[in-house]
Amino acid sequence: MAAEPAERQSEQALLSVDGISSGYGSARILQNLSFAVERHEILAIVGRNGVGKTTLMKTLIGLLRLMDGTIEFKGESIGRFRPSRRAHRGIAYVPQGRGIFNRMSVTENLVLGQGLGGIGRKADFDRVYRFFPRLKERGSQKAGSMSGGEQQQLAIGRVLVGQPELILLDEPSEGIQPNIVQEIGQIIRRLTEQEDLTVIIVEQNLELIHSVADRCMVMDKGTIIAHLTPDEIADEEVAKRYLAIA
Amino acid sequence: METVSIIFSFIYQYADNIGFLLLAAVGLIIIFGMMGVINMAHGELMMIGAYITAFAYHAGVPAPIAIIFAGIGSGLAGIVLERLVIRFFYRQLLSSLVVTWGISLVLTEGFLLIFGPSILNVPTPFGSFGVGELTFGIYRLVLFGVALLLIGLIWALFSYTRFGARARATMENPEMAEAFGINTSRMYALTFGLGSALGGIAGGMFALTATISPFFGVNYTLFAFITVVVGGGANVITGVTTSAAALAGAQTIVNNAWSVYVGYVSMMLAAFLILLILPRGISEYLERRKIRVAKKNG
Repeated sequence: MAAEPAERQSEQALLSVDGISSGYGSARILQNLSFAVERHEILAIVGRNGVGKTTLMKTLIGLLRLMDGTIEFKGESIGRFRPSRRAHRGIAYVPQGRGIFNRMSVTENLVLGQGLGGIGRKADFDRVYRFFPRLKERGSQKAGSMSGGEQQQLAIGRVLVGQPELILLDEPSEGIQPNIVQEIGQIIRRLTEQEDLTVIIVEQNLELIHSVADRCMVMDKGTIIAHLTPDEIADEEVAKRYLAIA
Repeated sequence: METVSIIFSFIYQYADNIGFLLLAAVGLIIIFGMMGVINMAHGELMMIGAYITAFAYHAGVPAPIAIIFAGIGSGLAGIVLERLVIRFFYRQLLSSLVVTWGISLVLTEGFLLIFGPSILNVPTPFGSFGVGELTFGIYRLVLFGVALLLIGLIWALFSYTRFGARARATMENPEMAEAFGINTSRMYALTFGLGSALGGIAGGMFALTATISPFFGVNYTLFAFITVVVGGGANVITGVTTSAAALAGAQTIVNNAWSVYVGYVSMMLAAFLILLILPRGISEYLERRKIRVAKKNG
């Protein structure tokens, strides 16, 4: 449960974040935050509302400016790159609220996933359709007219088209039926086990975290206050202490 | 006069008026209709196209190629304008209105200082043909044809190409587009340049029919905006074509019944009435109807 010392961040870490600060305007939401993610890992980030989880995700993809510190991805310092350049390097972002292009068709949304770099570089639509068959059936439909669960499938399927190496998932369970949450959890698990994929997931749904995450970080007031195992997070006492939820 | 020539004359005028509105609006479809930038200097980008066409023509370049030069020149001017000024005013309606109006004045006065109040005109090509006792200029029909062709090309570009999909993604949600590897800053410059290039081509086409002066652009900016605004943003292409058809219809009828001046007034009045009933433009109404019909059928 103790905080991991920074020295233990191995050199093979896919992503290492060192002493970063960021926020909106001149307000610093993240303060001197450090962590690392290994390849094939599913790292969950938990914490109460407003502690800076989404700010962290936006800073990692580059939609918020880095005020201090460094972000290294595959050994390259990307902290000053614009988001499109980070995307070309193989980082994919699935935001809270899913960020679907509502006015475009399902297929067009998927095709845009090709803009993401990564290992494959070649778009693989069939693989995405195997995971989410509905996306093939609904191909010509306007993405904005689909249900929340279908949109979440599209949001995840869309980034898989480009075969990124790191996916940033911000609250995938928000506003979605429990059975689809479970399905998405299984797919995330399968992807990291079978393919060269790493996931950072921000989530409030402790059940989902328990079923997918390898490791959890607890955030409070813009920094990391604890590292937990998924079993610890499932413990009501621990959850109460760190998240003020039972 | 025979009935045939009267009917033909009416259709000819209608096509001419539609062609005028569509060609004036063609660049603004992208810049205002899709990007949402109020560019009051749109007419001046057309004016630059007209000047380039005239200079190239008088230097011995054939008119069609001179017009392509105009597209390239105005496109480059548009990109420079976007990089230096416009990009700082996205999503700031009032500021962009004032700033681009300023640019329009600077360009007009600048051309006046450098080239004087007018330059040598370019003759209108193709001559005319007769129907019954009336004669009609062929070039007016060419304008109409080119207007339709350009709109068709814009539609195809934005609907079916990779560039089009990336541009639409950028217009709908720039942050997510950026996260999907699209350099949105470059995309904005490119689409603004494309809109300017189309404006330049339109300016070049009109240069063959009009007096070329630094004030060339003011004739077009207003009509371009009216056409695009009445068309609405739900579907810019169908919006602009239906809006041009409606406005030109009102203008043509009143033109024939009263006078050219009343014709223009009637067009403004038609625009006013349409926007009063459909504040978000014709295409918004058409899209809603399409959804209603689709729901009813299944």
